[in-house]
This record gives sequence, C-alpha cells and structure tokens, in this order.
Amino acid sequence: MKVDVRSLFRHETVLAILAVLTLAVLAHQHEAFFTADNLLNQGRLAAELGLVSLTMTFVIVTGGIDLSVGSILGLGAILVGVFWKNLGLPLPLAMVLTVLVGGLAGLGNGLIITRFRVPPLIATLATLALYRGLAEGISKSRSVRGYPEWFFRLGQGDVAGVPTQVWILAAAALLAAVVLGRTTFGRATYALGANETAARFSGVAVDRTKLLIYTGSGLASGLAAVIFVSRVSTTRSDMGTGLELDAVTAVVLGGTSIFGGRGTIVGTVLGLVLIQALRNGLALAGVKGDGTIVVIGAVLILAILVSNFVGREGDG
Amino acid sequence: MRRVRSVLVLLLAAAAVRAQAAGWTGGDELPTNPLPCQGAAGAEKAKPYDGGKPTNPPNLKGKKITVVDVPKLIGIGYFNATSKGIADAAKELGNVDAKTDGPTQANIDQQITFIDNYITSGVNGILFAANDPVAISPVLKKALGKGIHVVGYDANSEPGAREWFVNQAEFNGIAKSLLDNMAKEIGEDGAFAIVTSTFTTPNQARWISEMSAYAQKCHPKMKWLETVEAQEDNNLSFQQANTLINKYGDQLKGLFGMTSVATPAAAEAVTQANKCGKVAVVGLATPNAMKPYVNKDCVKSVVLWNPVDLGYAAMYVLRAVTDGTLKPGAKEVKAGKLGELKVVNGSEILLGPPFVYNKGNINNFDF
Repeated sequence: MKVDVRSLFRHETVLAILAVLTLAVLAHQHEAFFTADNLLNQGRLAAELGLVSLTMTFVIVTGGIDLSVGSILGLGAILVGVFWKNLGLPLPLAMVLTVLVGGLAGLGNGLIITRFRVPPLIATLATLALYRGLAEGISKSRSVRGYPEWFFRLGQGDVAGVPTQVWILAAAALLAAVVLGRTTFGRATYALGANETAARFSGVAVDRTKLLIYTGSGLASGLAAVIFVSRVSTTRSDMGTGLELDAVTAVVLGGTSIFGGRGTIVGTVLGLVLIQALRNGLALAGVKGDGTIVVIGAVLILAILVSNFVGREGDG
Repeated sequence: MRRVRSVLVLLLAAAAVRAQAAGWTGGDELPTNPLPCQGAAGAEKAKPYDGGKPTNPPNLKGKKITVVDVPKLIGIGYFNATSKGIADAAKELGNVDAKTDGPTQANIDQQITFIDNYITSGVNGILFAANDPVAISPVLKKALGKGIHVVGYDANSEPGAREWFVNQAEFNGIAKSLLDNMAKEIGEDGAFAIVTSTFTTPNQARWISEMSAYAQKCHPKMKWLETVEAQEDNNLSFQQANTLINKYGDQLKGLFGMTSVATPAAAEAVTQANKCGKVAVVGLATPNAMKPYVNKDCVKSVVLWNPVDLGYAAMYVLRAVTDGTLKPGAKEVKAGKLGELKVVNGSEILLGPPFVYNKGNINNFDF
C-alpha cells in the first residue's frame, strides 16, 4: 500500500505542475483568460461534466466504465420537462424525481453488470442506446420551454458571486474525496478494482459496492441533467451526447488507471481543470475548434506516458 | 427466458425507433401560413420590430471590427459556402476581420461553449446559425449584454436574443417549392418520406410544419409515410434513407432531404438500390453534392437558395448594424452586390425566393 500511495502521489504532482504551467501559458496568451469573470464562467460550463466525472472516478477505479452517463443526462433532461409540463407536477418535485430516475437508470446498469455478469463496457454501451432511445421516444420531438424565473437561478445565477452549480460541484467533489479516500466503502472500491476475486474472498461486498457505484453515477447524471436544463432553459433529447467520453478523459487524465485499483478525486479534479482550461484558453488564443481537440488528445497521451513511466518506477 | 428476452428486445426497439408518423409534432406549435396552391403569395403584413438590442455598444462606425461566425457545425458543404460568402463580404467591406469557427457536430452544447468563449475573447460581432432556438438564446443575450452585435442567418434564435435574422427564404415558400416539385415527379397520390436533421432544429422543423399544412391544403391525396432524423451526419442519413427504401418497398415513391447532407445521401441510397427513376429525390442541397445525381437523371430538381449569398448578406447586415445605418423599424437594407433586401416579420431580412437547380443550370454553380 505504501508503494502504491507514493506512485499515486507522483502522478498527481506531475499533473498539478502541468495544470499550473498550462494556466500560466494560457493566461499569457490572452488577458481575458485569468480573470475571475472568465474562470467562474468556465466553472459554470464545466459543472455537469464535473459531477459526472466524480462518479466516473469510482466506476473506473473498480475497473469498470459507464458509457451511458450522457444518455442518462439526455433522459433526465427530457423528464424534467415531462414531469413538469405533461404530468403537471410542481417543478421542485419534478427536479427531485429526475435525479431519482437517473439513479434508477444507474441501478439498472448495476443490476445488468452484477446479476447478469455482463462486462460494464457492453452493458453501458447497450444502455447508452436504450436510454437515449427512451429519451427520444418520450420527448416525441417536442422541447419543453417556459420554465419559471427561479429555476434559472440554478444554472444561470450566482450565490455570493460564484455560480450556483460551482458550489454544488465543490460540495460534491469534497464528498466524493472523503468517501473514496477515507471510508471503508472507498477502500472496498479500491480493493475490488485491484483484484476482484481476492476482494470477494476477503469478504468485501463486491456486488453491493458495484451496485451503489453505478447508482451513484446515475444520480450524478440526473443532477447534471437538471442543472443543464436550467442553464440552457430548454430540454432536448440529444443533450449530453458525447459526455461520457469527456468524463472518461478527465478521469484517466487525472491518473486513474483504466484497469482499476488506482485513482483519486484530486486527480480527476485536476484533469477536469486542465481540460476546461485548455478548451477555453486555446479558443481565446485564437486556436480553432479542431486544433483544441488535437491538443487535448496530445496532453492526454503525454499525461498517460508520464504516469506509466513514473508508475513503473514506483511499483517495486 | 427467451420469450422474455424477445419481448424486451421488441420493447427496446420500439422505444429506440426515432420515427415520426404523419402526425408531425415538431415545430413546437408555431403557427403555419401555407401559400395559395397556384401562383405566388400575397403581400406581407408589417410587424413591429421584435429583435434584441445590445447594451451600450461601443461606437465602431467605420472602424475595423472582429467578427466570429458560429454555424451549426463546420465541415459540410453548406456552411463552407456561407463561410465563403461571409469572407467575400468581409473582403469587400475592407474593415472587417471575420473568422468561422464551430463544433464538428451539430450539437447545441458545444455551439454554446464556442460562442461563450468568443464573448470572453472580446469580439465585436457574432454571426450564428442556431442548432436550437431556445437553448442558444441565453448565451446570445449575454453577448448583447456585453455590447456585442448579434445577427443570425439560416436558423433563427428567439427574436429577443439577436438584432436581425437573415432568412434565406420564407418557410412557406420553401415548403411550397419542395412539395410542388415532388408532386410534379410522383403524382398527386404518391407516397413520400422525409429525412431531416433533428425534430427540434429550428429551420427544418418549421419547414416541415409548413409542408404539412401546405400538403393538407394543396396536395391532400399525397401520403406522408414517415419522418426520420439523421443529425446532419452523412452516414446516418444514408442508413436512414436505405431503411426507408427497404421498409416501404414499392410503396415509397419519393424522398425529401431536408438538409444539405440528407439529400445527396438519399440520392446515393436510391442509386445503390437501383431505384433511380422509381423513387424521386427532392430536397435542399448544394449543387456540387448533387451534380452527379442530377447529371445522371436520378434527381430532377434541387431546391435551395444561394448559401454564399446568405453569408454575404449576413455580413453586410452586421456591418450596417454596427455602423448604425440599419436601425429597428427599417423596411429594407442595402447588402452590397445583392442590392436592397426587404425586411419582413419585424426583424427578419429576406434573401429572396428559393432557387431550383436542375440539369439545365446546375453546372453553372460551384459550391
């Protein structure tokens, strides 16, 4: 365990240095980059990705993956509108129900993976299509608009000068870091990611842990859906497409091993910061959309290479 | 277990099918205004100006401005053409620095992020073609709030989120042109299907709503089989067209392509299924994409406007608004070599009537 922690520490340090360097370079390129206004705005834009990435960390640490988060977000976005307009429920109840349905969708993922022993990649690939199809079918191509003003304070408003969803993201990150790093549940997650059979025979409740983790992933997607609808003031069934890949990128960039057993929330947060900073800073510096994608891909490969190199040194 | 699984598969398939039968529910219930069946439309009723206003815009009359153009997506022929029009106009004007940048998929989340970044980088003007009229409005209002001029083209946002919108052609004019051309090819009781982008894309949704109203009014015996989504993706459009051909067999007599990506894909599907001449393809597309099919007589007519002119006009409108020569309440605006363009519907600027490309004229165009 001691050796593992040391190598983990090194990846996060490398990443932190890389993040600081990137921020410095980008700030130099355009004076509007490192302003409070811009940074807070980026926080607002990254909130949905952030929430999903936090739970994706848990999922990937167990050696699994959840490709359906984008579709659950799309489904959630539609359901906010359906619960509120078509079923006539009060909007706060609709919001809570949406998050719960997200959790249920995640639970569905978990059940398919634990009960039917379907590999997570396949299972969530299937639910990616299923939940997206449900979203499109339920929405019947209508978008729901005309939400009350207070609803937009969640996605477009501020609390004490900081965007509302950034507070939510910060709280979630803190909670996730504590759960993953300091509770037995977190230990169980690492154990089952490192060696599932050994964990099972050591008495770790493997199936229950997995179920909880995938449900958590669904809950995060549901919450992200509510925030997203509030930010763009409408619902569409194609929302969240591609979110899963961005989340996996942030998590893997943060040092979580795709094979499981290693990873921290701090790393994911740093990965998220790096990606969002690159997207924003490069755009401000005049690099066009396609150039930004190339840079992010290069940074990801670079980070993985460094991490592998450092990790090999650390693992006795 | 097997029976349960097959029932489940059926349910999943039913849920996942993105089809729309004849009862079109897209277009978000905006009113339709079908044109008369014979002849052209009547006079336009004047409407008060309903566009948005920038807050304290800096006085840039005659000065150099930076403009960014954020279309629905980049990398397809149609928006390459509008981009060229914008660049041509910028060159003619001489005091505009224009750039086109946008997402590689017609995705509203990404488009919003692009616009947001450009607001932060301090552009003076934004041109856009929206992927979703309501979702794009908050970020455009933010731009107006920072004193940036906002002009839309091709696909509108909410009127209050931009100052002017350059409309390529009236929605009902496009609907009439498309349906009349289709009726000419397949007859008054033919059956057709539609391949569109998504059901909530602003322009396509309005065109289809108008087509629905016009078909009921002037071609009531034509059968509308289905409408499918293909997201402005080449591959998906081709697959959807193929699926329609296989699903309806001989019953399908015509395919409408509602995007410049869907129409060549549908034509390709018809060609590969050896149904040229048996299934008519009518739609919106750039001439270059359709030249092979029109020259082979697989497709008889392509309806469009000139997207290069559309971009050109949008750029001139933005310059006029920045210079203060185009004010709310104006009835027309001068757009360089296009002459005077009319203002309709309060804050929309009309490019002109739709243009039909066919074998006789398609080789004269190169975009």
